[in-house]
Amino acid sequence: MAEPWLQARSLRRVYRRGPSEVRAVDGVDLDVARGEFLAIVGASGSGKSTLLNLLAGLDSPTGGSIRVAGQELTALDRRARASYRARRVGMVFQTFNLLVHHTALENVELALAFNGAPRRDRRARARAILARLGLVDRLDHWPGGLSGGEQQRVAIARALVKEPEVLFADEPTGNLDEDNSLQIAALLGEFNARGLTVLMVTHDLALARGSARRLVRMHYGRLAEAPAWEAP
Amino acid sequence: MSLRDVLGIAVGNLRRVRLRSFLTVSGVVIAIGAFVAMLSFGAGNRRLVTQQFQELGLLFTMQVTPRAESDSTRVPLDDDAVRALGELPGVELAFPLDDLPVTVRLLGRESETTAQALPRAAFTTRLYSRLAAGEAPGEDGAGDAMVTEALLDELDIGDPDSVVGARLLLEMRVASADSGFAEAFAVDPDTLRDRLARVRLDSLSDQGYRRRLVFREINEATSRFMRGFMAGRTLHDTLTVRGVLEGGHQGQRLRVGPVIVPVATALRFHGAGLPPEPMALMRAAGGGDLFATEQAREGEFPQVTLQLDPRADHAAVADTVRALGLRAFSFAEQYDEIRRAFLFFDLGLAAVGLVALITAALGIVNTLVMSITERRREIGIFISLGADTRDIRLLFLVESAVIGLVGSIFGIALGWLVTRIASGVAKAIMTRQGLPPMEVFALPLWLILMAVGIGLGVSLVAGSYPAARAAKVDPVEALRGE
Ligand SMILES: Nc1ncnc2c1ncn2[C@@H]1O[C@H](COP(=O)(O)OP(=O)(O)OP(=O)(O)O)[C@@H](O)[C@H]1O
Ligand SMILES: [Mg+2]
Repeated sequence: MAEPWLQARSLRRVYRRGPSEVRAVDGVDLDVARGEFLAIVGASGSGKSTLLNLLAGLDSPTGGSIRVAGQELTALDRRARASYRARRVGMVFQTFNLLVHHTALENVELALAFNGAPRRDRRARARAILARLGLVDRLDHWPGGLSGGEQQRVAIARALVKEPEVLFADEPTGNLDEDNSLQIAALLGEFNARGLTVLMVTHDLALARGSARRLVRMHYGRLAEAPAWEAP
Repeated sequence: MSLRDVLGIAVGNLRRVRLRSFLTVSGVVIAIGAFVAMLSFGAGNRRLVTQQFQELGLLFTMQVTPRAESDSTRVPLDDDAVRALGELPGVELAFPLDDLPVTVRLLGRESETTAQALPRAAFTTRLYSRLAAGEAPGEDGAGDAMVTEALLDELDIGDPDSVVGARLLLEMRVASADSGFAEAFAVDPDTLRDRLARVRLDSLSDQGYRRRLVFREINEATSRFMRGFMAGRTLHDTLTVRGVLEGGHQGQRLRVGPVIVPVATALRFHGAGLPPEPMALMRAAGGGDLFATEQAREGEFPQVTLQLDPRADHAAVADTVRALGLRAFSFAEQYDEIRRAFLFFDLGLAAVGLVALITAALGIVNTLVMSITERRREIGIFISLGADTRDIRLLFLVESAVIGLVGSIFGIALGWLVTRIASGVAKAIMTRQGLPPMEVFALPLWLILMAVGIGLGVSLVAGSYPAARAAKVDPVEALRGE
């Protein structure tokens, strides 16, 4: 059988706090196939965000390995890891993390600046993705003037404008009401249907069940694999 | 991420915190302004000196004089010496320069002044080729004289053209020991009778009276000698004025006698004896050639001026001249010394400007370090979008460089403004004191480039610490939470 697109083995991330240490991720094995929509659930502090950051190349593991399309992520140098984030990975956060002094359009364009897209294409591509997410008349708005749902859609537009291979979403609906949450989940499902691999951390089990095709649970830094549930 | 993208973000960030950026840039503006104004003063003064040296052709001249009379290695500065000097490599022209105290008559006016001997070739040098009227002495210039505007001022002649072609009468009194002795021992019957009549014969037996009498006689003989020496005799020459040289006023560095005569005339005057001044007598007596004046001064010049090839190594020429047993004074050497002095002057001024720059640099450090705290999330976002720590460092360095560059540009403008005001004040003061107004400030291109370079350099050094700190921000932590 072919190697899965993303593969983590014995992944560990230990934080030292004085004499004690926190094993935020403590020996995780995970296989994700291309085009999968995986939901990660678990109690607060179980290490979900840490795992996601490791897989996204934003954090470095203390031990173990991560392979993406056959390439060992931990073997990459700083610059190559930056390029991995810039070209292959999209990230969405619970707190949106938009640049508050830039308009929606500028926020999205910025992703393309790091991505190395030609300058003349950037504006059109940013416009197109924002339009697709229903934000045509919000292009020149500052994040502060947008609703939570709109902000998260701008963040998703920013993550997806560079057409990444995988989207890491860390509680993307954590700050949203139910309607907006469902809308965001539906959006992610839509993009997943077009081939985007999605890893989403969430507290909301119902949401996870409604959108993800597979669900794993984290418990004290470990993956309680196969919770006897997989999407049809 | 391209530099242009980084620059766009950097400028955007600075514009967002307008007041803070303005204050930080102001620090750089003031520092660079001070730096530019200070060095502009140094550069202006240096330019002034250089200009004066160049205008007078002094950078390419060297003065040669004989060694002290008491020096046994003394070599006479005579025609042979002048010829030898003229043939030295690097020397274009050697001409004797001499001052003669003369009385000048021109267009019915008279003035006591000094004449200077110059060979014809000297009029091809820059020093002696700026003519107000007429032309340089002719091919056979034996009877030609040149005068300066200063002489015309003294004679109250307004139009320089009016003297061209006019006859110039030259008179010089020369003293000699002979005429002094002739006077001292003159047996004039009248004075002799007077003196004898005053002698009190009945007191001659008194030793004190005899001593006083002899003392008085010696005293009177001495003053008669001086009178005879000073009276000397008068020499004449008649020359034709060929041209009028510009300037020549007192106090100007240009050493041009008010009247310039052919070397032959000067030599004839010289050969006749000493100038009728007590000092000349003392010098001659001290040198032991009181009675040999004629031979000693024959064909000797107090000074010879060398016109140098601008490309020649002046120090080497000076060394050769010294090796000939003569003294050499080079304006170029003096100029180098002045330039060295200016270097220290400039360093002192620059140090003051640099202190201001250090303060400005601390302002930059403060501004950027403060902004790191505020921009932690932004840094995290950039990294999550694919920025490398190097991009983050670059971003902060570019912000710092923009502050430095903008500050330098406005600082140069400020410095220029300050020097314009100071220059106006300085000129007003000079004018009020009756001096010709001089420009003591200069803003040469190198100073502008240096100011930009230093402004940029200092801001980059100042920005490197905040940049390193910004690059250490942990993106995971920066992106977490509210
Ligand atoms: N920088 C850090 N230093 C020390 N401990 C940390 C650090 N970051 C995370 N941890 C610890 O690691 C553990 C896992 O944290 P993580 O944020 O991954 O949990 P989480 O599952 O995402 O929780 P939540 O659902 O609340 O977001 C927690 O115990 C947390 O306190
Ligand atoms: Mg979390």
